[in-house]
Amino acid sequence: MSWTEAIRLFALVQVKPETIKLAAERRRATWMLIGPALVVLLALNVFPTVYALYISAHYWLLAEPQPPRFAGLSNYQDLFSDERFLNAVLVSLRFVGLAVGIELLVGFGLAFVFNTQMRGMTILRKITLLPSLVMPLVVGLVWFYMLNENFGVVNWIWVMLGGTRVPFLTQGTLALLSIVAADVWQWTPFVMLVFFAALQALPEYVYEAARIDGLSGSQIFFRVTLPLLRPAILIVLIIRAVDALRSLELVFMMTRGGPAGDTEVLPWYLYTTGFMSLDLGYAAAMAVLMLALVTVLSQLLVRQLKSREATV
Amino acid sequence: MTIAPIRKKELNSSMRHSAAAWPTGALRYLIAATFTGFCLFPFYIIVTTALKTETAIFAWPPAWKFQPTLQSFHNALFVFGGRSVVFYLINSIVISAVSTLLAVVLGAMAAYGFARFSFAGKRQLAFWILSTRFAPPVAFIVPFYLMVQKVGLLDSHVALIIIYTGMNLSLVFWILQGFFAEIPIEIEEAALVDGYSRLQIFWRVAVPLVRPGIVSTAILSAVFSWNEFLYATVLTQSRAATLPVYLAGFSNSMGIAWGEYMAVGTIAVLPILCFSFVLQRHLVRGLSFGAVK
Repeated sequence: MSWTEAIRLFALVQVKPETIKLAAERRRATWMLIGPALVVLLALNVFPTVYALYISAHYWLLAEPQPPRFAGLSNYQDLFSDERFLNAVLVSLRFVGLAVGIELLVGFGLAFVFNTQMRGMTILRKITLLPSLVMPLVVGLVWFYMLNENFGVVNWIWVMLGGTRVPFLTQGTLALLSIVAADVWQWTPFVMLVFFAALQALPEYVYEAARIDGLSGSQIFFRVTLPLLRPAILIVLIIRAVDALRSLELVFMMTRGGPAGDTEVLPWYLYTTGFMSLDLGYAAAMAVLMLALVTVLSQLLVRQLKSREATV
Repeated sequence: MTIAPIRKKELNSSMRHSAAAWPTGALRYLIAATFTGFCLFPFYIIVTTALKTETAIFAWPPAWKFQPTLQSFHNALFVFGGRSVVFYLINSIVISAVSTLLAVVLGAMAAYGFARFSFAGKRQLAFWILSTRFAPPVAFIVPFYLMVQKVGLLDSHVALIIIYTGMNLSLVFWILQGFFAEIPIEIEEAALVDGYSRLQIFWRVAVPLVRPGIVSTAILSAVFSWNEFLYATVLTQSRAATLPVYLAGFSNSMGIAWGEYMAVGTIAVLPILCFSFVLQRHLVRGLSFGAVK
């Protein structure tokens, strides 16, 4: 028995008032520690959420001198008959679906490629981390330059391969794909690294059992590896979906929502409504819908994390 | 004591196991190297374009060989858009540094409180804090604009510092909670017996023990503040404008000045890259909210 344990045992038989005093001291310490963070989050998360709800129930124009008027739900009603809004939702879904889909598929495959002890792989893996740290605005800038129709390097490669020049940023579908490409460049390595870490954590005894049971290579992949990676897949899927949904910088730098609204994602429409058309009430209604969607997604993640916590 | 080596051995053999199947030797190198090249190529474009003359920037076919010039950096530093890039650089450094300091102090305190004390609704509260990270900035920008306007802090450093602190708090909290939970409780009990108060134990015993975690969360949250664009562009105009605001303003005022753009881009990206190898190990853990360790 160490001396600390001895003292702990001694503390157990202490008289009651001491224990009560200790409990009160613990409670005070707890709130002193977590209180400030909670206050900040109440002010910067809960309050703006409630305030957004309040603003969204008003006709609230930034440029007009008269005060905002109560509007009830009419901002929301307008949204559902607003073709620009419905288009923005569709474009956002297309962007998130394409970008996150490609990132997950490619990242998943690459994780297996990097999951080896061959020499030099560690340094290559470390280098691939770099894109996820770059300022998104700069990502948009460099892809804007590389995809330029007249002097962009991507077009040059394409012409070298025998094609003709492509207007990547001014033709509807291609413009969306260009933004997807920039997002894929930035985030595929991150997805790969998450899957890599998950692969590294797989226990070997499961594979031994599978081999003893006589499973073939593809059977092991589909019946052992894939199910074991399911939590990692879900987690990275939700994180990427939420982050892609909020992305605004690439559109800002590369297309400004054009051509003809083909790349007008939801954040871009919200931003232009609020700070170019100055219609804050309408923008806030969009914000509330976005928050609702993101809340659903984050609850899915929370559930996943909780069940992981339970198994660990 | 024996647990750690065994787990390490397990990891290695599982690595070898999945390595056995696909793809084989040379192909594996080829794929990995191609992907790494793909990751690096845009960096090469940013830096070389910043060093090119205007003629070389617009050359077709692209000028792979060119006489490097510092003209674009010179323009960004001394000529461009009325104010030197240094002004915006200083704003970015001040705002990132102070907001990171605040987020780390508040986040570490809360993380320690959660890791060491139990109270009703603790788990629910922890997951709620995590979920605040998901709120899209664009959904908060309208209320934030009106809030900041009402207190008269538009175009001030303070407003961005406070908002970035809130933005990074949940990340710091969530990561550090894991680190604090890994400290053996005996160390702190010994300090308690020695007559340290709870807060002294936090500051003098626990915090030094999780220093690696604190360093990497600090770097991560500095990166997020440094890169943030939307809040900065809506809430600042000139006095407190950060690098992203400056970068976004270029195309409006001067057409597209690629060289200067890329020079500022280089300045905005380089400091981050210098840090990246430091936090390599914990970065994935951080970016995935500790879901992957």
